[in-house]
Amino acid sequence: MSASFPTAAASPVAAAAPALRVRDLSVRFGGHLAVSSVDLDVPAGRISGLIGPNGAGKTTTFNAICGVITPTSGQVELGGDDVSKLSTHQRARRGIGRTFQRLEVFSSLSVRDNVRVGLEIRQSWSRRRAAAPQFLAGGAELSADDEVALIIDRLGLVEVAEVPVGSLPTGQARKVELGRALAARPSVLLLDEPASGLDEQESVEFGALLGTLAASGLAILLVEHDIALVMRVCSELSVLNFGQLIAHGTPEQVQSNAAVLDAYLGGGGNDATAVERAAVDAGVNVSDTSWSGPGAPS
Amino acid sequence: MDKFLTFTIAGLSSAAIYAIAASGLVVTYTTSGIFNFAHGAFGMMAAFTYWQVHVAWGVPTIPAVILVVFVIAPIFGAVIERVIMRGIEGASDVVKIVVTVSLMVALLGIAQVIWPQNVSRPVPPFFEGRFVELFGVRVPWARLMALVIALVVAGGLKLLFTRTRLGIAMRAVVDDRSLLQLNGGRPGRTAMLSWGLGAGLAAISGVLYSTEQTLSAITLTLLVVNTYAVAVVGRLRSLPGAFLGAVILGLAQSYVTGYINPGLTIGPIALGNLAAALPAIMLFIVLLVQPEERLRAHGVERPRNPIRVPSQTVAIVGGVALVVVLAALGSLMSASDLVLVTKGAGIALVTLSLVPLTGYAGQISLAQMTFVGIGAVAMAAWGASGSPLAVVLVVAVCAVVGAVVALPALRLSGIYLALATAAFALFCTAMFFNQQTIIRAGSVQVPPLSFGPLSINTDFRQLVLTAIVFALLGNGLVWLRRSAWGRRLTAMKDSPVACATLGLNLTSTKVGVFALSAAIAGAGGAMSGRTFTADSFSLPASLPVTMLAVVGGIGSIAGAFIGGMLLGAIPIASTIFAANAIGIFRFVSLPVTNVLSFTPGLMGISLGREPDGAAPQIAVGYRAVGDSPPALVVSAAGAVALWVATRVGVITKWSFFAALVVFVVAVVPLLPLILTPRLPEDQAEPPRRVACAIWLALATIAAVLIPWATAITSNGVRVLLVLVLAALSARVAIGVLGVTPEQLRRPLPPSPDLIGVDRPLSRADAIEATHMMGLTEDEFEAEVSRAGADVAAAPVGALR
Ligand SMILES: Nc1ncnc2c1ncn2[C@@H]1O[C@H](COP(=O)(O)OP(=O)(O)OP(=O)(O)O)[C@@H](O)[C@H]1O
Ligand SMILES: [Mg+2]
Repeated sequence: MSASFPTAAASPVAAAAPALRVRDLSVRFGGHLAVSSVDLDVPAGRISGLIGPNGAGKTTTFNAICGVITPTSGQVELGGDDVSKLSTHQRARRGIGRTFQRLEVFSSLSVRDNVRVGLEIRQSWSRRRAAAPQFLAGGAELSADDEVALIIDRLGLVEVAEVPVGSLPTGQARKVELGRALAARPSVLLLDEPASGLDEQESVEFGALLGTLAASGLAILLVEHDIALVMRVCSELSVLNFGQLIAHGTPEQVQSNAAVLDAYLGGGGNDATAVERAAVDAGVNVSDTSWSGPGAPS
Repeated sequence: MDKFLTFTIAGLSSAAIYAIAASGLVVTYTTSGIFNFAHGAFGMMAAFTYWQVHVAWGVPTIPAVILVVFVIAPIFGAVIERVIMRGIEGASDVVKIVVTVSLMVALLGIAQVIWPQNVSRPVPPFFEGRFVELFGVRVPWARLMALVIALVVAGGLKLLFTRTRLGIAMRAVVDDRSLLQLNGGRPGRTAMLSWGLGAGLAAISGVLYSTEQTLSAITLTLLVVNTYAVAVVGRLRSLPGAFLGAVILGLAQSYVTGYINPGLTIGPIALGNLAAALPAIMLFIVLLVQPEERLRAHGVERPRNPIRVPSQTVAIVGGVALVVVLAALGSLMSASDLVLVTKGAGIALVTLSLVPLTGYAGQISLAQMTFVGIGAVAMAAWGASGSPLAVVLVVAVCAVVGAVVALPALRLSGIYLALATAAFALFCTAMFFNQQTIIRAGSVQVPPLSFGPLSINTDFRQLVLTAIVFALLGNGLVWLRRSAWGRRLTAMKDSPVACATLGLNLTSTKVGVFALSAAIAGAGGAMSGRTFTADSFSLPASLPVTMLAVVGGIGSIAGAFIGGMLLGAIPIASTIFAANAIGIFRFVSLPVTNVLSFTPGLMGISLGREPDGAAPQIAVGYRAVGDSPPALVVSAAGAVALWVATRVGVITKWSFFAALVVFVVAVVPLLPLILTPRLPEDQAEPPRRVACAIWLALATIAAVLIPWATAITSNGVRVLLVLVLAALSARVAIGVLGVTPEQLRRPLPPSPDLIGVDRPLSRADAIEATHMMGLTEDEFEAEVSRAGADVAAAPVGALR
């Protein structure tokens, strides 16, 4: 999977310019620079990896790209357009889809309804019918029900289709999030640790699925701690450490990069404990100086 | 110039009171994450206690102030935190809001029981009203003191939060509880302290205020609206912001009082009440200029219980049945019962309006009766002939007003909608419903509808019309709930951030639901055909509607109907009891009217124990009885005992009926929980179970002892009161137990993200984590033997 996949995208621009381009992105939490001047290019039709030790700023980068948090500085361009000023839902309508490291499923709805809501929300805003993605029925237009059914089938969720997602194990719930995101027909897909909760076998299958998705023209940015999976599917990797990009290149190049090895093996990771990660994912501001409560100027 | 100075000083001294109150609110909100709607009620209780201690018992000023402000109020606040608030930490916004609003209503009720309203209670001013001459203006010492206290509070809090360990711990609680715990802090104790501090500050403001104005429970309680208008300036979190807001509001109110001639009018609106409307106006302006709130990716907390949506067929059958049954009952009823039931059905339309907003979308409104009022007044003005077309127009107007009111707040988080609607209710009361030009002589008659030759001019016709409208709207809502839009609302309730990343515009979706809700409430007013007093559109009238709707299990149409009927019954029941027999509850020696006045509050507070409302749980409890032999035995024995007692004439037929209803609704569904030897996660500790059993026994005994047959003359009222008693018993019992029948069925899987935080790291967790990191179990074993058990804290890199 090292070579580029054929791009199915109609626009010739997509082949030239990356589908997603991030420039000089910085996110500051109080005194703590969680993401510092990060540049990323995510081309269509390929899987790009974003890796780094815990607390390196990967999730924060995702949040800034899709507008869930406002970055301190930097630009996000989608298909050549600057979307930095747009709100989350506007960016989604421009084609950014994502999954979450901490599950954000619709836990009281069934698997089928989770995917269906994704599709219905898309139908509520897309006037012109976005072309059906290549990986579903070869791009042929499907009825809404068929499209939902096909997505569920592709993700191997048929047996649990009518089960409320709240009662599924994490691994399957992550797939539901992926299916839901796909139903919105994004052009760029941000996946935050989608394979955690999968076993070895499932993870291999999952990698193959990602390959198919990319082959159909999707630009995928993958954050994943399953290094084997990352090495297998990504055509290029960016490595973050302490919010800074420390390396970029093919998996082979990155693997032999001294700075990367040092980041992973040397420092013993950043300051992130499991607890801190939980706090971070909750959007809680754990850094003292940024606290704007009593005593602090507003 | 003297006049200006006088009003400036007066304004600054009210600003001082607002600032003190607001800092208490901000302290509790920032440290516990719970916005305390009962903050004003805390101050009110303190002011009354001060009156009791100082005036009634004659304790001198200084010891009395110290006792109230530094002892009683802080203890009260800490106890409230421990007993009520700790249970709702982590609950949804709706539950948090309803619980504190219920607390406010309950405290109001309790205060009126202890200190009946018909007695005037002057509180002597501090310093015996002495004053100094400043720039040629007489300034009472008390006002200067208020300013000084505000400054001391500001300085003290600043020191507390920046210099002391305790203060820093308080800030940490809200930032992250589990983090604080991990670092050796004690979040529970810290939260109690901060509620104690908040209550103390509320007490200072309440006592200061009561020496300036007359001592009135409602006025003092509603002072909370001024307080939060002020606090919103600092986004509810910043003390300097709150102080700034206080100065603005205090001065603005004072200048309006001083310089705007109360006779002045804008169109039909006289400006006499402008000062009372200012907090609401200020709140809206501040909300408008706030930047849109950023979303938060929380992770979805725990699997929510899927609410079963009835099929359309069931809904249609239910609707037809409702109309037929109500028509049949109505035609048999006495005139007075008919009035009661018709009013109840009318209110059911209002509770129905909360089904899409609260039940489906998870938003809350504290102004539903205001929309009823707008509907009623508009109908009276435009639809004198009773034309259905006028109803359409009125409903459209309500929808638009609703959208406009909600828009600024909906860009922000859930709490702001509650604040904005409460402020809107106060605004409308001051500037609209209390205007002679709009509601003359304090009451408005809504013209009865007429459809061509058929005029809805009798109570019976009104009842049938209301039933039909309810059935149609209920069916419409079921249809909506089953539609794409309904699914989207559920999705939005589960995870707003995921909806946004799918391209859903959250604000416009929420505004749409709010407009729908306002329209239904407005329709309830426009089609009521009855006379309303201006009071019935006020904020205190709206609160029980929202509370009962949530308590009843707001997701369901049937729940909304029952809630409405109960609500319709309460005021009427209290007048009947007042006239009939005070001694019914002799064994608790409280006047029944007063008991009824705070029951909705108690029911709401018990919601803190289990947030999904009562109705669904009772159904689940029933299914569990079948699995629990002891529960089956006790249920059967109880039912037989009741029946035998009736046969041998020990208890009357009405007592039998009442006891049976209580038994069936409250006792039986909870028996499995009380009797099952071990519960999942063993939440119902034995003392709770005993307390719950005692409560249920008392409720059954009360049902037997109440002389239903002699005290009440109307059958309809009897039935309704029996239902109220049963619902209350069940509600409180569930609250006492702290576990819901559903938990019998569904042990909650612990959140994977809190492994090691809320429970110790198990071996299984570690192995799963290893898998996530792409290691095999063998590698894991090797790693464990090398690194000890601290696998979770080790960074991925170190494990490779
Ligand atoms: N809301 C916040 N307030 C304060 N600090 C934050 C916040 N969110 C993230 N951080 C900090 O930013 C840094 C990056 O966090 P982020 O969650 O982006 O890391 P990550 O690379 O996704 O880590 P992981 O692999 O554990 O998911 C961390 O040091 C964290 O402490
Ligand atoms: Mg992350």
